[in-house]
Amino acid sequence: MEERQYDLIFICRPDTPEPDVDKVIATLEHAATEKGGKIEKTEKWGRKRMAYRVQRLREGFYVYMVVRSTHGEVVKELERRLKVADAVMKYLTVRVDEELKRQDKLKKHRERRAARRPRKTAVPAAPSAPVPASGGEPAAATS
Amino acid sequence: MAEENAPRPPAPPAAPSAPSGPSGHSGPPSGGGYQGRSGPGGPGGPRPQGGRPGGPAKRGKRSFIRKKKVCRFCVDKSDFIDYKKAEILAPFLQERGKILPRRMTGTCARHQRWLTVAIKRAQNIALLPFAAEL
Repeated sequence: MEERQYDLIFICRPDTPEPDVDKVIATLEHAATEKGGKIEKTEKWGRKRMAYRVQRLREGFYVYMVVRSTHGEVVKELERRLKVADAVMKYLTVRVDEELKRQDKLKKHRERRAARRPRKTAVPAAPSAPVPASGGEPAAATS
Repeated sequence: MAEENAPRPPAPPAAPSAPSGPSGHSGPPSGGGYQGRSGPGGPGGPRPQGGRPGGPAKRGKRSFIRKKKVCRFCVDKSDFIDYKKAEILAPFLQERGKILPRRMTGTCARHQRWLTVAIKRAQNIALLPFAAEL
């Protein structure tokens, strides 16, 4: 199976001392590597006001991670750990690799179009270029 | 409806920031504004030329100019909408926390699809509210 990428965000209680947050992060990292995944990035966003109250608290300590793995076990294990950890109030895992792929594709598509456009206007008779375009812009260039 | 359309031009359905007026379901008299805006052919559709019994008949056709709303994400050429950036998503919510419809914000179909997903994710991690708090 191909590798998948996930965003993992969790919110710790605002009163947790920072070493405890680091401890949670460390256990997650450990768990991920044990299961064969890896944590690519960890960002501590710090204390932020939440949009609604969670466990009667208005603030939370946000931590953001990027996880890569080839099988779902890793995510399962990470979520289990987060559920168990007392300091963690809330967490969210989102699979993002497909969206990133789509983003790349669109970006490439856009760049290709941008690269082609000036050439078209300069040299109107370039039969090889517009033919593979087909899906591209229908206006202007044809006339 | 004609009477309702007449006073609208000074206040076009502008930014998604302050549309709270017509949003409330409670007020039936003001609720007509919603339909009036979207009903006659969405983007650049033909304006209804008939059906104007009263009103200022001097100005031949519908004189107000509906400002063409453009998709903000298309302008920015964004290839995806990040759910982590709550400050980008927030303007697309009503004050009570509802997601604004396309007809209010002018977002294109594709970006609205991405936007709703992003908003819903952000709500789940308390970056955006599900509903306004008391």
